[in-house]
Amino acid sequence: MRVVKKVGGRRLSRQERQAYLILLPAVGIVFVIVTIPFVLVVMQSFSADDGSWVGFRNFSRALGNPLLYDAIRATGVYTLIVLPIEILVGLGFALLVHRTVRRPGLRAAIYVLAILPLVVPPVAIGVVARLIYAPSYGVLNVILERLGLIHQEIDWLGTPTLAMLSVASVDVWQWTPFVYLVLFSGLQTVPRESVEAAQIDGVTWWTQFLYIDLFYLRPLFLLILFFRLADVLRVFDHIFILTGGGPGTSTQLLSLYMYRVEFKFFDMGQAAALAVVVLVSFSVIYTLISRFLPLERA
Amino acid sequence: MQRITRREFVKRTAVAGAMLTSFPAILEACNSSPTTSNKPSKLTIAAVQGAEDGPLKKVAPMYQSQTGITMEVVEFPYDQLFEKLVTTFQANGSSYDLCMMDDPWMPKFGTMGALQPLDSNFGFTRDSDIPSIVYDVGTWPPPKGPVPPSEQGKSQHLYGITIVGNVEMFMYRKDMVTTAPASWDDVLANAQKFNKSNFYGYVIRGKATNPASSDSLPILWSFGGDIFDTSWKVTLDSTASIDAITFLTQTLKKYAEPGAANTDAADRDRLISIGQALQSTTWPAEVTGVVEAQGVSQVIGKMAYIPIPKGPSGKGIGMMGNWLLGIPKGSKNGSAAADFIKWLIKSDNMKTYVQNGGIPTRTSLLNDATLGQTNPYFPALAQSLAAGPNWRPRTDQWNAVETIYGTAVNQAVAGLKSPKDALTAAADQIRSAMKQAGYPS
Repeated sequence: MRVVKKVGGRRLSRQERQAYLILLPAVGIVFVIVTIPFVLVVMQSFSADDGSWVGFRNFSRALGNPLLYDAIRATGVYTLIVLPIEILVGLGFALLVHRTVRRPGLRAAIYVLAILPLVVPPVAIGVVARLIYAPSYGVLNVILERLGLIHQEIDWLGTPTLAMLSVASVDVWQWTPFVYLVLFSGLQTVPRESVEAAQIDGVTWWTQFLYIDLFYLRPLFLLILFFRLADVLRVFDHIFILTGGGPGTSTQLLSLYMYRVEFKFFDMGQAAALAVVVLVSFSVIYTLISRFLPLERA
Repeated sequence: MQRITRREFVKRTAVAGAMLTSFPAILEACNSSPTTSNKPSKLTIAAVQGAEDGPLKKVAPMYQSQTGITMEVVEFPYDQLFEKLVTTFQANGSSYDLCMMDDPWMPKFGTMGALQPLDSNFGFTRDSDIPSIVYDVGTWPPPKGPVPPSEQGKSQHLYGITIVGNVEMFMYRKDMVTTAPASWDDVLANAQKFNKSNFYGYVIRGKATNPASSDSLPILWSFGGDIFDTSWKVTLDSTASIDAITFLTQTLKKYAEPGAANTDAADRDRLISIGQALQSTTWPAEVTGVVEAQGVSQVIGKMAYIPIPKGPSGKGIGMMGNWLLGIPKGSKNGSAAADFIKWLIKSDNMKTYVQNGGIPTRTSLLNDATLGQTNPYFPALAQSLAAGPNWRPRTDQWNAVETIYGTAVNQAVAGLKSPKDALTAAADQIRSAMKQAGYPS
C-alpha cells in the first residue's frame, strides 16, 4: 500500500521523501551529539545537584559572582588585542604575497608554512611559549639581554598587562596564518579584468585595495570574525599552561573560569547556567554577524 | 529461492546487525560474576602520570608474573585524573578496579560514597610499621579535625592505602648553610645573608591556585594561621594568617627569584639544581626527580632535607600530599584489587618498590641506612610523618577553597593586592562557597 504524507496540506513527492530519508542519519547524529547535551545543560541550569528544580537560582548565582565579570573583562581585552592584530597582519601578509610572489613553488611553500601553526596542538604551543616567556630561563629575556636591550629580567608572566600580552602573542602567532590563508584565497577571486582596468586608469595600490580588493574581501572579514570569535571563547590550553589564569585572575578568560566552576568548584548548576548565558549571548552576536554575511557571492 | 521485499531486507539486516554487535556484550555478561571472589584476568588501575606512578608501573609486572593477573595502568595528568574519577564515580562505572588518589580528594570521594571500604570488606588492619597518620588520611569521615556536616555520625572506614608517602619538607644548601634553619626567622636570615645577583635566597612557588596554595600552607600553619577553625569557621583573615602570608609574600619575597608569581615546581627545581638558589620547600618527588637526579642536577650531595621549620606558633607543620590506592565501588574485582594492595605494601615488596623510585610509608624502610644513601630525604620524611603533618582541610569543597586561596596568595606574591586585602577577599569568597555547600561559616 502506498503511504502518502501531507506537509502543510501538500503531499510529499517521492523525491522529497527520499531526500528526508537521506537526511535522517545526519540529523539524527546532530540530534544525539548536539541537541541532547544542550537540552541536558539547560535542564541542569535549572536544577540543584540532587536534580531538584531551583528555578533561576543558578543563573542568579552565576551572574552575581564578581569573578564572572573579571573573566568577561579579560576575555574582552584578549579579543580586542588579538583580533585586530591578526586581521591586520594577516591582511598585510596576504596582500604582500598576492602582489609580489609570482612563483607557484614559493607560494606553495608559504602556504605550507602558514598551515603549520594551525596543526600544532595548543598544548605544545603553550609549553614552547612557556620556554620563551618563563621567569629566569625564558629565551626572550636571554635574547633581549644579549642584545643589550634590557639589563634586568622582564617578568613577562608575573604582571597583569605583560601576562595578557604574552598569552595574546601566542594566539596571534597561531591564528594570524589562518587569517592570511582565508584572505589570500579571497584575493585569488578578484577578477583580473577589474584590476587591469584600474591599473590602466593609473590607480594607486591603496585605491586598488580600497575599491576593488576590499569589496571581494568584505564577506571574508565577517567569516574570519565569525570563526575567530568562537575560537577566542574556547581559548584554554596555552593560557592554562602559561599563566594558569594569573597573576591573580588577570588572564582567567571565560573558558578557564567556566572550567574552574565546573571541574574545580564542581558547581554543575552554576556552570550549566553560565554555559547557557554564554550560548545565548553569542547566539545573538552571531545572528547579528550573520545578517551581514551574504549567502552567495555576487 | 524466496524473494523478499526491500522493507523485509532492511528489517532482517538491522536485527542481524544488532545481534552481532551485542554478541560480545552478551558473552561478557555471561562471564561476569556478581560476586567479587573470582580471579579476574586483568586489573585496571587509573593512575596519575609522572613520578608518582612510575614505581607502580615498574613493580606491577612482578605481581602479574606471580599471579597471572594482567595489570593495566591507565595514566592521566593530575587534573584530568580527578575529573575522570569524579565522572566515573558519578556513573558508578566499572572501568577501573583501582584508582590512585591525591589525599585532598578523599573528602570528595568519601562524601560521594565512591569507594569500597577496605577494612570491613577486605580485612585491612593497621600495621605498626606504618605511621597512624597514613591510615588516618585514607579514613573517611576523618578521625581528627572538623567533619563535614553531611558526614557527621557516619561510621569511619578505611578507603585508601597510601602508596606514595609524600610530605612537604624543606631543603637548603648544606654546603653554604652550616646549621639547619630551625625557624622561619633562620630561613629569612639565611636568605638575607646569601642573596646576591643571580643567586636567590629563597624560591617561592607562587603560580596561581594549587602551586601557591601548596607552597604557603605549611607557612600559614607554622605561623598559627589556618583556613578553617575546628567548626568550619573561616579564619583565613585572622591576624596569624595575614602575618604568615605577609611574611612569605613581602618579607621573604625580597630575597626570592624574579617572576615568583609564575613559578611552579619545575621552575623551582631548575633554580635549585643549577645552583642559583639557596632554599625552598620541596616534595619528595622533586628531590628524586630533579634535585638529586644524576645527569640533571649540579647540586647532588649539596642539599640537606629537614622537616618544615618552626614558625611563631612554636611548631613547624608539614603538609601531607599522600597518594593512595582505593577500590572504586563500581569495580567488579574488589577482592583481587585488595589482594594487589596487600601485596604492594608488604615489607619486601615495598622495598622493591622503593628501589624502583617509590616513596615508602614504612618507618623501617625510611630509616634503612642503605636506602637512605640513595634517598637522602628519607630521615626528614620519617621525622615529618612521625611529627603528625597536617592534611588539607577535609571538605568536599577543597578544590573550590584551594582555587580561591591559591589565587589570593598569587595576587599577594604578584603585588596586585596586599596580603591583608587578598586574604580578606578570599575569606569572604570561601565563606560564601562553604555556606552554599551547607557548612556553618
